[in-house]
Amino acid sequence: MTTSPQDSAMGRVAQVLSGLSRLSLWLAGIGLVAMTAFVAWQVYGRYVLNDSPSWTEPGAVMLMSWFIFLGAAVGIRENYHLGFDVLLYVVPKSGKRVLRMISDIVVFAFGAGMVWYGSQLVALTWNSILPALGISGSFDYFPVVAGGVLVCLFSLERIALRLSGVRIDDDIETEAEQSGHYEESRI
Amino acid sequence: MELWILFGTFVALMLIGTPIAFCLGVASFVTVLFLGLPPLVVFQRLNSGMSVFSLLAIPFFIYAGDLMVRGGIASRIVAFAGSMIGHVRGGLGQVNIAASTLFGGISGSAVAEAAAVGGLMIPQMKQRGYGVDYAVNVTSMAALIALLLPPSHNMIIYSISAGGKISIADLFTAGILPGLMLAGALMTTAYFVARRRGYPTEPFPGWLAVAHLAAVAIPGLLLIGIIFGGVRSGIFTATESSCIAVLYAMLVTLFVYRQMDWDGFVHATLGAVRTTSMVLLIIGTAAAFSWLMAYLRVPAQLVAAMNAVSENPYVILLLMNLLMLMLGTFMDMGPLIIIATPIFLPVAQAYGVDPVHFGVIMILNLGLGLNTPPVGAVQFVACAVGKISVWRAMRSIWPFYAAGLLVLALVTYIPAISLWLPGVFR
Repeated sequence: MTTSPQDSAMGRVAQVLSGLSRLSLWLAGIGLVAMTAFVAWQVYGRYVLNDSPSWTEPGAVMLMSWFIFLGAAVGIRENYHLGFDVLLYVVPKSGKRVLRMISDIVVFAFGAGMVWYGSQLVALTWNSILPALGISGSFDYFPVVAGGVLVCLFSLERIALRLSGVRIDDDIETEAEQSGHYEESRI
Repeated sequence: MELWILFGTFVALMLIGTPIAFCLGVASFVTVLFLGLPPLVVFQRLNSGMSVFSLLAIPFFIYAGDLMVRGGIASRIVAFAGSMIGHVRGGLGQVNIAASTLFGGISGSAVAEAAAVGGLMIPQMKQRGYGVDYAVNVTSMAALIALLLPPSHNMIIYSISAGGKISIADLFTAGILPGLMLAGALMTTAYFVARRRGYPTEPFPGWLAVAHLAAVAIPGLLLIGIIFGGVRSGIFTATESSCIAVLYAMLVTLFVYRQMDWDGFVHATLGAVRTTSMVLLIIGTAAAFSWLMAYLRVPAQLVAAMNAVSENPYVILLLMNLLMLMLGTFMDMGPLIIIATPIFLPVAQAYGVDPVHFGVIMILNLGLGLNTPPVGAVQFVACAVGKISVWRAMRSIWPFYAAGLLVLALVTYIPAISLWLPGVFR
């Protein structure tokens, strides 16, 4: 995304958010490698140590939650989510801006819901214990809350950028490019 | 009324271009508010829908695919396929399909495959004078073979959506013959289209060269045996096999091919994060959506409606196929499997269709939807690689659609194609 900072305050916010998004992406990547290690350890444990560790499955699943919410939140900032773009091609530019705006507000609202109701779920499960991991059941819902915060921040940034006149909607790419897959796999 | 709100919100948001994951989530949320249920339930369903161990297979298989593309496994498989059948009429088209079949046996993601095989084959085909539309259509259709061959992560999604009671090993086995049939049908179509258009053949490089390229490709191809053998024999679960695939791809690209460096590794890892986090969030919100549909008794209503139309299972299968084809044109495969399985599977079972057989029908059917505008992830990738518009590809895709639909009809009405092989292994 090409952002031309309007003033230094906004530029600094953009810098912080950009750093946050990189950090989230890298954490999710480390999570993916760690998930691989957990499941590999499970197979190793079963066949070599003759003792299946009980924490690997729930541990890997919990990592996956973090991985999904972090990666998906970054997806909003980098705009690689799958969507149905047909209408956006046919409406005029101003209409496209309006539709994109509604879309970002909807995403923001859902992010807020993730924070609000995710926190309630954390509170509800605070005193329960996950037997396999020996930690509070609320750990299941921390990723929802953290992901919600990031979703809100990144969608707010898009709304703010658009309001301040930055053209972030002019280059609608194909879904393939959005998914990042095409770039990734040109060999 | 509740149904109108659920589907109406979903369709309206989708039309304005909201990311699918959020369309499903917000539609569920609004409906829950209308019904007066606690909104908490949406986020709880979302979380429990994603927190399933079998789902780990999706990031792992996509990660493994990214590593294989970056680390040179894919290019060696394409070279091997090229030496084998490049001399058949429409040579590079045949190579494309053969390579997709081999790569499909280790990758399982149609999008990854269209990018991997298309990225290598489409530029070559252009250079040799093939029409770009032909190259793109062969690539996008051949990529669907990966959906049917093990390790297809879509089969895992189906198994989860069906309540986790269908054996993934059986589903993997059931897809093999339909996958090979699709490969055969596409090769035949590619042959006739190539002959009519007068496309060239490649010289046969000699058996020595074939043997050499095969030897080079073997470390990658071994993975087919490791995954299928491991899952089938019960040595490891499908999820564990996907993790083994990642480790194996790392080892081969690092130590055998020595083509993986730190940069490539980071790119493959972050690329897999980008692709799969999005897909998995969709799966989570689709789970909330699907729970609401069950709550609103959509499946039961559909069974009743179908019953009113006909009692004949063949007619019902035809109706369901048409409905799924229609849904597949404007929705992506993963969420559609999660939403459609709890609706259609009970109907199919009520008419005596085996759930494994129905899984194969559904995967192939919705797979064809990946190649249809307005939402067709695989077609979009292939068109992006070939740098042509979807509409230009559409003009000459029809013979390939016909081949795909023919295979779908055969798979639908001859259960043995899907069920014979799993029976042999049982």
